[in-house]
Amino acid sequence: MLRASLTSFAKGARTALAAFALLGLAAVLVPSDVRAQSINPTASAVTEEQLLQALQPGGEIAGRVSIPDQKATGLIKPGGQDWRAFHQGTMLWITAIALLGMLAIVVAFYAVRGKITIDSGMSGLKILRFNSFERFVHWLTAGSFLILALTGLNLVLGRYVLIPLFGPEAFAAATQWGKYAHNYLAWPFMAGLVFMLAVWIKDNIPDRTDVAWLKAGGGLLKKGVHPDAKKFNAGQKGIFWSVILGGAALSVTGVLLLFPYLAGGYADWQLVQIIHGIVAAVLVAIMVGHIYIGSVGMQGAFDAMGSGEVDFNWAKEHHSLWAEEARRKQGGASAGTPGARPAPQPAE
Amino acid sequence: MLVKRKTHGTSGEARRARHPAIVAGLVNQAIDRRTFLRRSGLAVGGLAAAGSLSLGAVRQAEAGPMAEGVAVETRKNICTHCSVGCTVIAEVQNGVWVGQEPAWESPINRGTHCAKGASVRELVHGDRRLKYPMKLVGGQWQRTSWEEALTEISAKLGTIREQSGADSVFWLGSAKFSNEGAYLYRKLAAFWGTNSVDHQARICHSTTVAGVANTWGYGAQTNSYNDIRNSKTMIIMGGNPAEAHPVSLQHVLSGKELNQANMIVVDPRFTRTAAHATEYVRIRPGTDIPVIWGMMWHIFENGWEDKDFIASRVYGMDEVRKEVAKWTPEEVERVSGVPGEQLKRVAEMFATQKPSTLIWCMGATQKTVGTANVRAYCNLLLATGNVGSEGTGANIFRGHCNVQGATDLGLDVTSLPLYYGLAEGGWRHWARVWEVEYDWLQARFDEVPAKGGREGRDRKANMETPGITTTRWFDAVMLDPEQVDQRDNIKAMMVFGHGGNTVTRMPEVAEGLKRLDLLVVADPHPTTFAVLGERTENTYLLPICTQFECSGSRTASNRSIQWGDKVVEPIFESANDYWVIYQLAEKLGFADRMFKNIEMVEGKFGPEPQPESVLSEINRGGWSTGYCGQSPERLKAHMANQGAFDLVTLRAPRDAADVGGDYYGLPWPCWGTPEIRHPGTHILYNTNLHVKDGGGSFRARFGVEREGVTLLAEGSAPMGSELTDGHPEFTYGVLKQLGWDADLTQAERTRIETQGGANADAVSWSTDLSGGIQRVCLEHGAIPFGNGKARAMAWNLPDPVPVHREPIYTPRTDLVAQYPTRDDFRQQRVPNIGHTVQKTAIEKSIARDFPIILTSGRLVEYEGGGEETRSNKWLAELQQDMFVEINPADAAARGIGEGQLVWVTGPESGAKTRVKALVTERVGRGVAFMPFHFAGWFQGVDQRAKYPQGTDPIVLGESVNTVTTYGYDPVTGMQETKVTLCQIAAA
Amino acid sequence: MARMKFLCDADRCIECNACVTACKNEHEVPWGINRRRVVTINDGTPGERSISMACMHCTDAPCAAVCPVDCFYTTVDAVVLHSKDLCIGCGYCFYACPFGAPQYPRVGNFGSRGKMDKCTYCAGGPEADVTMAEYEKYGANRLAEGKLPICAEMCSTKALLAGDGEIIAEIYRERVVTRGYGSGAWGWQTAYKETVAI
Repeated sequence: MLRASLTSFAKGARTALAAFALLGLAAVLVPSDVRAQSINPTASAVTEEQLLQALQPGGEIAGRVSIPDQKATGLIKPGGQDWRAFHQGTMLWITAIALLGMLAIVVAFYAVRGKITIDSGMSGLKILRFNSFERFVHWLTAGSFLILALTGLNLVLGRYVLIPLFGPEAFAAATQWGKYAHNYLAWPFMAGLVFMLAVWIKDNIPDRTDVAWLKAGGGLLKKGVHPDAKKFNAGQKGIFWSVILGGAALSVTGVLLLFPYLAGGYADWQLVQIIHGIVAAVLVAIMVGHIYIGSVGMQGAFDAMGSGEVDFNWAKEHHSLWAEEARRKQGGASAGTPGARPAPQPAE
Repeated sequence: MLVKRKTHGTSGEARRARHPAIVAGLVNQAIDRRTFLRRSGLAVGGLAAAGSLSLGAVRQAEAGPMAEGVAVETRKNICTHCSVGCTVIAEVQNGVWVGQEPAWESPINRGTHCAKGASVRELVHGDRRLKYPMKLVGGQWQRTSWEEALTEISAKLGTIREQSGADSVFWLGSAKFSNEGAYLYRKLAAFWGTNSVDHQARICHSTTVAGVANTWGYGAQTNSYNDIRNSKTMIIMGGNPAEAHPVSLQHVLSGKELNQANMIVVDPRFTRTAAHATEYVRIRPGTDIPVIWGMMWHIFENGWEDKDFIASRVYGMDEVRKEVAKWTPEEVERVSGVPGEQLKRVAEMFATQKPSTLIWCMGATQKTVGTANVRAYCNLLLATGNVGSEGTGANIFRGHCNVQGATDLGLDVTSLPLYYGLAEGGWRHWARVWEVEYDWLQARFDEVPAKGGREGRDRKANMETPGITTTRWFDAVMLDPEQVDQRDNIKAMMVFGHGGNTVTRMPEVAEGLKRLDLLVVADPHPTTFAVLGERTENTYLLPICTQFECSGSRTASNRSIQWGDKVVEPIFESANDYWVIYQLAEKLGFADRMFKNIEMVEGKFGPEPQPESVLSEINRGGWSTGYCGQSPERLKAHMANQGAFDLVTLRAPRDAADVGGDYYGLPWPCWGTPEIRHPGTHILYNTNLHVKDGGGSFRARFGVEREGVTLLAEGSAPMGSELTDGHPEFTYGVLKQLGWDADLTQAERTRIETQGGANADAVSWSTDLSGGIQRVCLEHGAIPFGNGKARAMAWNLPDPVPVHREPIYTPRTDLVAQYPTRDDFRQQRVPNIGHTVQKTAIEKSIARDFPIILTSGRLVEYEGGGEETRSNKWLAELQQDMFVEINPADAAARGIGEGQLVWVTGPESGAKTRVKALVTERVGRGVAFMPFHFAGWFQGVDQRAKYPQGTDPIVLGESVNTVTTYGYDPVTGMQETKVTLCQIAAA
Repeated sequence: MARMKFLCDADRCIECNACVTACKNEHEVPWGINRRRVVTINDGTPGERSISMACMHCTDAPCAAVCPVDCFYTTVDAVVLHSKDLCIGCGYCFYACPFGAPQYPRVGNFGSRGKMDKCTYCAGGPEADVTMAEYEKYGANRLAEGKLPICAEMCSTKALLAGDGEIIAEIYRERVVTRGYGSGAWGWQTAYKETVAI
């Protein structure tokens, strides 16, 4: 960039010199006493060189057009080149590193730590962790996110990975459908975010237990260590807030990208696209971790979002405070409810 | 680098292979560089000849919305918008106009167009066109047939004629007519028996024609667009050709660049033309005469005038000096706002860096002092010797595509075709050409009773009295009959090809329309006339095709006549002007007489006049203006050989086939019969050339002497003339005196003597139907119309020497006492009460309540009333809203922001318009500008629903003429559209 | 090989919009899509200049670089074209384009972008040259017929030049030298990383 600017400056200087020379010539021709009253539109014509030099980063050389399309007023927007450089450079690397990096971490973790099992073994007793609405909300969000992520990644990386495999026509057709999917599934994703926030925010307010949990490394690194946690431990709270905040950022920027005719000028679009891309890359990476720990990474974890019922021992180990409370509540509640599952029994 | 080429799908290397071969060939080698330059239109001179490698021939498979494998025919026609006269090349397939290609060979446009010209193909696809004849029944548009419509119209015309007289029908013609159409329409009015036949020239350059013709003979541009390439200094004053005549700027800017010429724009508005000037002078609207006199003050003061030129070729300059002496730099600045030093610099450039030309348009003409403005401009040219040679002259840019031709062919209330006057001699001339009895023609006219103490007129006197103008027709509908000097008020209007939003005082126009007994609009579009008046019956819309759907000639601003070939058949049920005029004549009962010598051919709806034959009749009678030599055959040869003509001189080499030695389009005057092959006249009054080469002198039109002072040139004559001094116009008698009558052929002599009878000596160069007098004059190098002086002082005009007069509605009320408008008087059968209106405005303090000067003008995308162009989707997209330009200071003072809706109100009739504000420095403080092409909104009300279904233009808007006001030029009745007052407030 | 470029001589451009309507006419470009447009800088003040702008057919075109489906290609004449069959209307090329060239019809319930349309330098698209299939998607292919872009061919004042970059640069250079002024080869620095040295 810097070098490019210097080069253009050098070229600009040459042109400017030529212009000065011409001005000097004009000055000789026009008697000095009357110059003050002269309006010479030819001599005072704006030049591209002046405007380019005065241009701020992200700015554009713009004027008036008679058509209503106000984005047509921009004549030259060198910022397009910057966006291109970012999109094809930094952005590409961030996405690749985030994705591949997280995959590498997960694989390494699996290799070192292996699957986290329930230390005390399965109790055989089930405890309701997420009701059907909570699960619906989770899978609504997760499912749409998965498609959004894959179609999004496709836009960034597909060109390099998939075109050589499938050829341009098949890839373009798939990507076209991917775009439709991305545009339409954004709405269930956003709905999921709203529900998620409503359902789980009360359990995701950070508190002191989270500090202890974090100090203990969540017990993830060492077998047999199980710091106390409420319904959601600090790690899960982190996931929650990543999803809520990241999702909100993606939603806002996504909607702006979806309705380009509402959302400002080209510089705004570029910024919005950059935010959308980076947040998406980071969130995808986080989700890779989340998916790992929620599935193959931890024994008994998937049940929470599968059947909704978890093994009581799993609950005691990972959500000790919630497990106790849930047992109490569900025990009490189930007593008077016909058809309710039997209350879980302590394993001692 | 991502420079690569892909081969996917069915496409492959094979199909691309022939492409690089052509294109690489186009740009790589020497011959192809030339070809390239030619296609870029950048080559000049000899390169045109070298470019015989026709790239058009390369086109085998045709692109565009074209059917593959179907033959493509190419037809040449002329753009139907402005007066530049750009050639349009149409590609036609299966009778459908499928593509437009650059007309490289036209020396006028050299392939180029403006937005309008580049989109004319849309005109014959336009789904907004009027599709079939329609009439209003109970306020609803109903489809009707041509036969029914024409029968009903003729019957109604007959009734009106019977009850109110022939003068009760106002025949409004069009600058969109071909020459042949214009001529037939004028002839139709003559056979109908009225002089109330007018067209757009009334409201665009009527004052130019009057002013210029009264100065040196003819009312036309003296030089040409191309010749501006020779100018070293040009002043563009009251014109914005960058928007009004964009292709002319090709020549203007080339001249500016190649000659490093001074390009001075004098205008109240910093126009797109001004943006390319080397000097911009902002003036207060309506102060052209003070500015011109201010320049001449410096010229006389410093002795920069061309003394030899004045002495030999100008009459009455001393009278002008006396008036100019009053306009000291201080007074000029006080009145116009232009600093003395700036004006001095401009004056010096114009007078000393010659050749200099003065270019003007409607900023000069559409004024209550229009004729006087033009006369002042002419005086500046005369004083500096800038007329009658290359690079000089009055380069008057006319408006419509054939406004020059329609003017020439007499769509004018004061003349017959080719400027033959309404006096008996003129009528007798045309009666001879038409081979009808003069007495029969006379009998067609009304007798006019005495009114209001004014004398009545017998048929002969009425026949010789100018008719009512298009600027005042509605007054002639609504005024007390005692005030209208004809048998009765106007009762019917026949409108051919004319917008309804083009005249000032539209609220009164609307009222006038309502009161008409019959309104007939013959046009490709319904026009504003169809929706403006609250009419319910007796209103007809006749679908007329464009000039692309019929053949005929049209005269560009530079007097070049170009023949256009029909591109496609008239679309929908539209018909051409020729057929409709013929049908009217037939139903009115005089077709046999009127078309006696005109060949009929089978047209879309039956027999119709053949345009070639009409042009031949024009040739037979067009001696006065030199419309006699341009036969259809010669004009067609010019179109076929456009490439032969020089870009700057417009002349073909003498050895060029068919057109050798001719100037392009045989610009009039093209003397004598076609057979003598006069080349036409590129530059009027040019003494540097032999008359046979297009040379000439000022026309001896005003006599030979006045108050003992000669009106004939002294020591100046066209090159090679046997008469080296001034002389009067030629008659058979003069010929005999000189002994030149011996050169007449026996046939010519017989014809003259038969025609003249006892008075054969009076048969003149302009009435001799044999062409012998003109031929013999040319043989002796003498100009047929005489060698006179131009008149700096024109004694027959209201202001023989132009004087400044404040606009009727002026913000400078302090100047009115010193520079008042003219006294009230009667003009073209109606009163002109401008003086009373000005006085009343001051008494009512109008300038306090309406403090902003309102001026109007053109946008490049639209033309005229705009109905046609606003219906063209490619143009309409580019200007979707009517607007008012307002200075940032005025906007800020009123709390008006960019793009906001505002009310622009005028001082008459409570007129108001609701438009968008465009806040810009383009207009000075206290000045607002509105474009004049919009209609379809009237005083805040959308009128879209009033158009027949499907014919409403895409873009509608308020008309500026809703708020423009009273004010008429004393000579021509030109309206004032350039200076009035308004107020602007946020809506 | 020719290196096709556009050059708008702003000291000639009078904002007459012929380039715009010629383009519309030649390619039947629909309402709302402006392959070419004229922008006026400093409108209404001394110093005003208008520039006709469309796709500049950049060297190392940013649009091509950022296209997720890689639908752009550059012809042997250095004209940057794209395939509407591949385009998914994502808008990236508009973000990257320094000249605002890509245009999108509004489609779908969201009013989102349809397949991108832009100036083709009158060189059509990937379909076989001068066929109806090519015309319907991209418009006329004048280059294949040995003609130059219609916008430049019809420019009223010959402000807009099209053709081999070296030739049009030379024409412009000659003009500037002759007349003594020039506001620059607008967009060249950005599109081609060069200017026309006078």
